[in-house]
Amino acid sequence: MTFEVPNLAPALPEIVLLTLTSFLLIADTVWSKRCAHCTYWATQITLLVVGWLIVSSFTTQTVVTFDGSFVRDTLADVLKLFIVATSIGIFLFSREYLLQQRSYHGEFFVLGLYGVLGMFVMVSAYNLITLYLGLEIMSLALYAMIAMQRDSQKASEAAMKYFVLGALATGMMLYGMSMLYGATGTLELPKIAQVIASGHADQAVLAFSLVFIVIGLAFKLGAVPFHMWVPDVYHGAPTAMTLYLASAPKIAAFAMLYRLLWDGLQLALPDWQGMLIILSVLSLIVGTVIAVVQTNLKRLLAYSGISHMGFVLMGVAAGDAEGFAAAMFYIIIYAITSVAAFGMIIALARMGHEFDEIEDFKGLNQRNPWLAAMMLFIMFSMAGIPPFIGFWVKLAVIEAAVNAGLLWLAIVAVITAVIGAFYYLRVVKVMYFDTVEESKPAEPITRELGFAVSVVSGLLLILGLFPSWILDLCYRSLGVTVVG
Amino acid sequence: MLENYLPILVFVVLGILFGVGPIVVGYLLGPQKPDDEKLSPYECGFEAFEDARMKFDVRFYLVAILFIIFDLEIAFLFPWAVVLDEIGTFGLVSMAVFLALLVVGFIYEWRKGALEWE
Amino acid sequence: MSFEQLVFYAFAGISSLAALMMITVRNPVKAALWLVLTFISAAGVWLLAESEFLGLVLILVYVGAVMVLFLFVVMMLDINLAEMKEGFAQYAPVGALVALVVFGLIYLVVGPEHFGLDKTGLPVTHGPDYSNTKEIAVPLYTQHAYAFVLAAVLLLVGIVAAIALTLRRRGPRDALYQDIDAQVRVRAEDRLTMVKMAPEVEPDVSSKNEEEEGAK
Repeated sequence: MTFEVPNLAPALPEIVLLTLTSFLLIADTVWSKRCAHCTYWATQITLLVVGWLIVSSFTTQTVVTFDGSFVRDTLADVLKLFIVATSIGIFLFSREYLLQQRSYHGEFFVLGLYGVLGMFVMVSAYNLITLYLGLEIMSLALYAMIAMQRDSQKASEAAMKYFVLGALATGMMLYGMSMLYGATGTLELPKIAQVIASGHADQAVLAFSLVFIVIGLAFKLGAVPFHMWVPDVYHGAPTAMTLYLASAPKIAAFAMLYRLLWDGLQLALPDWQGMLIILSVLSLIVGTVIAVVQTNLKRLLAYSGISHMGFVLMGVAAGDAEGFAAAMFYIIIYAITSVAAFGMIIALARMGHEFDEIEDFKGLNQRNPWLAAMMLFIMFSMAGIPPFIGFWVKLAVIEAAVNAGLLWLAIVAVITAVIGAFYYLRVVKVMYFDTVEESKPAEPITRELGFAVSVVSGLLLILGLFPSWILDLCYRSLGVTVVG
Repeated sequence: MLENYLPILVFVVLGILFGVGPIVVGYLLGPQKPDDEKLSPYECGFEAFEDARMKFDVRFYLVAILFIIFDLEIAFLFPWAVVLDEIGTFGLVSMAVFLALLVVGFIYEWRKGALEWE
Repeated sequence: MSFEQLVFYAFAGISSLAALMMITVRNPVKAALWLVLTFISAAGVWLLAESEFLGLVLILVYVGAVMVLFLFVVMMLDINLAEMKEGFAQYAPVGALVALVVFGLIYLVVGPEHFGLDKTGLPVTHGPDYSNTKEIAVPLYTQHAYAFVLAAVLLLVGIVAAIALTLRRRGPRDALYQDIDAQVRVRAEDRLTMVKMAPEVEPDVSSKNEEEEGAK
């Protein structure tokens, strides 16, 4: 038997994250009585340490270790850095929200960190088993975090729906993966690609496994027609959880999409491209049309999230590295925008009043002009109005689709983007042109939170003014040479 | 390899015969004169007051789920013990890490008081 | 038909039958017991496929632990499933149709055309010294050590989630029980306060006494 002891160095961020989180889990049982905020601060420090470790060992090569089950490349490092960055934002907002709702538990942060670990594993997975395990670690942490507000019936219902449908989706995906193993006889993604290239894989079984895998992925991304859980879960979950759910895991889901469809099944492109185009068109149309009639901001953002996933899938459906780079650009910006939007709701929420109805934003300009302006930034960016970053991401994805010859898909995307602008602008109209009779104050929970919302929203404008570096980063991490 | 399991199959068949046989024999040989009163449930001669089932404390669930987790851990230990001399130091260390993580979980549940009934 | 095939069909038949009973039976506790039978016969099928470790783990973990959990959950909920299933039958034709279509699709793909013996070759039979446990174990703790440790993380998250969701500090009103320690330690002065009071003097004591004496 020949077995080499694997090189642990590339996995150092994961190892450190796991060690610190496990330490935190035990430490929290001590701290929860004396120093409740220690867990929060330790969480942020953990994330900073891990982020620093990734930056300091940033790699431009592809390193594979653990006998082909772990990969570290530029894509992995970039995605992990953005996961860490959004997670820091998530925990920052969550803490104030949980304090406000009197449901502050150290477990929230510990589970959140385990969720981040699961995302890391997904991003770096190079065989089907680790991909699946990463997904499960992340999902399990998410289910538990949503259900943690046990006295809230809505949150329990949301957790239940998410759990049942999530388990179903995982089951589908696992079935597809087992089929893929049956067709190719290997678990490692690059070897799967080799087997397909050599033509030994059974085409029918391969296509069938792809159907199941794509269904599972679509469930996790919340793409139509597998989107039913998204609005209810976003609406029912505590806002801090919605914030988590709508941001960092999406980045990890993109990584899964990339690893499976590009690293493993690149040559099966004709089989999956059609499915992704259908998912993309449906998500764009259904997400946009249903969002128009929503009165609850969280539901509105859920449906708009579905249409954003349509854009991401459009980039992926382009079926080349440029399309993946555009989709990656889109999903990273979507995660940041989500942090800003749900962060805004959290900042204005009070105990017993969620501030998540569009009505609540009525006349926000009179009550708090600064926050109204920040909300304007967020909405404009989501609508894709220049010079905000949301414009550039849409442009990149549409360009990728046109270059790949999917002109009609690009046209559908532009039309839905125009319709989408309507409901984002309606929120703006409510804030600026509607007046409230009795002017209730709309102050952020704490000064720091108002500041944090401003920073994240301002980032949307600043990134929009200088979009090239982040786009460059995406292109480079996928090995695309930038043209022009 | 399968021949090793023949005795177990014999046991299974014998077990089924011993379990099912007497019931079948009793059913066939015993006199059966069912009527409504005999078949209805009763408690101490009264009509049944309510359903036999009642709500359980959620703590039973917690105990069961913690049991499952450590049961799975045991399931991983068996094959490890079988091949310990083949997998070398690395195998030893990987199991040590596995156990360490579950010990972390154990300390957590202990400190949380999940192991105490009251 | 060889003896092995006979045993296989026996186990597979019991397994399918028990699964069918599990989803149609009205009493949830009975359904759980049918599921146990399904698991046990599935373990038999796995044994026949020479993966005895997986078969035994199926019995150990699923029958031993997961089914206990199922029974607890069934008892905990105290819901009448028969009531919930009312009107369920009207969906039966649609369900049967969907099941048939899915079965057909899966048969087309996983059936003999793609995984028949002519494609995969006869399964290799091993001698009496062959240990499937060893075959699984060696790669599990070496090549797949990363996945193995991740499994531990998954279990750990499971522990944290279960405790965070079900463990509730009990308030004094949730469960009433005696604290014998406190009962024994109690002292009279904790419960009983002696209050000094000035004696109340009734003014016409002497006349009362006289009346009483007079009555006698």
